[in-house]
Amino acid sequence: MKTSITQVSKKAFKKLSIIMFWIMIWELGSLFIHNVILLPSPVEVIQVLSKLVLEQYFWLCVFSSIARVIIGLVISIGLGVVVGIIAGLNKYVEEILTPFLVTIKSTPIMSIIILALVWFKSTNVAIFTAILICFPVIYTNVLQGIKAVDVQLLQMSALYKVKRKYIIRDIYIPSIKHYIISGVLMCLGLAWKVSVTSEVLATPKYSIGLNLLNSKAMLETSELFAWTVVVVLLSFGFESLFKYYVKKTDRLSAE
Amino acid sequence: MENDKEYQVQVKNLNKSFGDNKVLVNLNLNFEKNKITVVTGPSGCGKTTLLNIISGIEKPDSGEVILKDHSISFIFQEDRLIPDLTVYKNIEFVLKSTLTPLESKPITEKYLELVKLMEAKDKYPEQLSGGMKRRVAVARAFAYRSDLLIMDEPFKGLDDKLKKEIVDEFLRIYNQDKRTVILVTHDMDEAVFLGDTIIDLNCNKK
Repeated sequence: MKTSITQVSKKAFKKLSIIMFWIMIWELGSLFIHNVILLPSPVEVIQVLSKLVLEQYFWLCVFSSIARVIIGLVISIGLGVVVGIIAGLNKYVEEILTPFLVTIKSTPIMSIIILALVWFKSTNVAIFTAILICFPVIYTNVLQGIKAVDVQLLQMSALYKVKRKYIIRDIYIPSIKHYIISGVLMCLGLAWKVSVTSEVLATPKYSIGLNLLNSKAMLETSELFAWTVVVVLLSFGFESLFKYYVKKTDRLSAE
Repeated sequence: MENDKEYQVQVKNLNKSFGDNKVLVNLNLNFEKNKITVVTGPSGCGKTTLLNIISGIEKPDSGEVILKDHSISFIFQEDRLIPDLTVYKNIEFVLKSTLTPLESKPITEKYLELVKLMEAKDKYPEQLSGGMKRRVAVARAFAYRSDLLIMDEPFKGLDDKLKKEIVDEFLRIYNQDKRTVILVTHDMDEAVFLGDTIIDLNCNKK
């Protein structure tokens, strides 16, 4: 027990040291450039951020953006898993979907956002773009997982005339679990990037993106950095929460 | 006398090739009901192909397989256990499409007892030794209601002591729960010890 506590604190100390190292590089860079519009110092950014967090408007913007990212992610994951399984089990579905997926993957994000601006209300643009960017990632991972399923287990199931629902539940799902997890991890960061970019262009009333745009227009680089820090922290928080959840469910299923 | 025999499986004029390699040529065989028929022969003579065709895993180029009953249990060369299911659930997996959990429970437990794995019922395949995994595969095959049991070199790779243990267990279960068995093996001692009939698939025909 004592050893594990020491190990955890050592690990935390190491992580903290690495973060401090990069903050120091940032500080040195801002001292060197010596222009708050080009590169504000970390202290200035923290000061701006500490003022922002006291405003109700800040939290409204943050939670609105979080809601958009969550909605986009949930729909992408659900759709990606279901369609991925169907396509994995049915070659025709896979072939029909391939041109659509290839087109989405090679379309510039900006084109998707601009199209979404034409089609949707500003509040929904970020959700739509997140879905369109994250769905192919989840879908492709699920498809790969289905194809990697042990054929020998499928032969065994067919021989014992096991119903398809049990084959999906007991063979396919556990086998694609790791592919889904890695897809979701990829999407967590991607969804934040795409959502905030969409918000910058769609400018919904309460959004992180709108504040990034306003900060840029007012040449408030410290505020721009502060909002960027918020996005990075939120993305990191999402990833950590998801990893914690995966670890916990893995431990529970092992028990 | 030949006409008195009741056959569970009849193989008629079976042909199978893989590219230029003719594996089975005009093969005719009968497998007697509730007896152990051992199919032996050198590697590459089509023993596994024959089993795969009988079980429906592979299709023949021509010829036919007449099965008296279409329910088949198969003990593969590999254990083919689902890694994310416990020993108990691996056996229950082949039963649950036709039986409720309440109906499958006594059957699963009966065969777990017979292969002496009751205490390991909640373990996962990765927590089992090679011999234990084989025993789960044997229990699974017997737990499934079938008249035909196909075994493709089920004792391959086991050390002598373990092999004897599993063969004894197999015979004990077989004697309690007779069914037609087709067993493929390279091992002549095993063939003589277990087989009521021995079929040698020699490769001279090719």
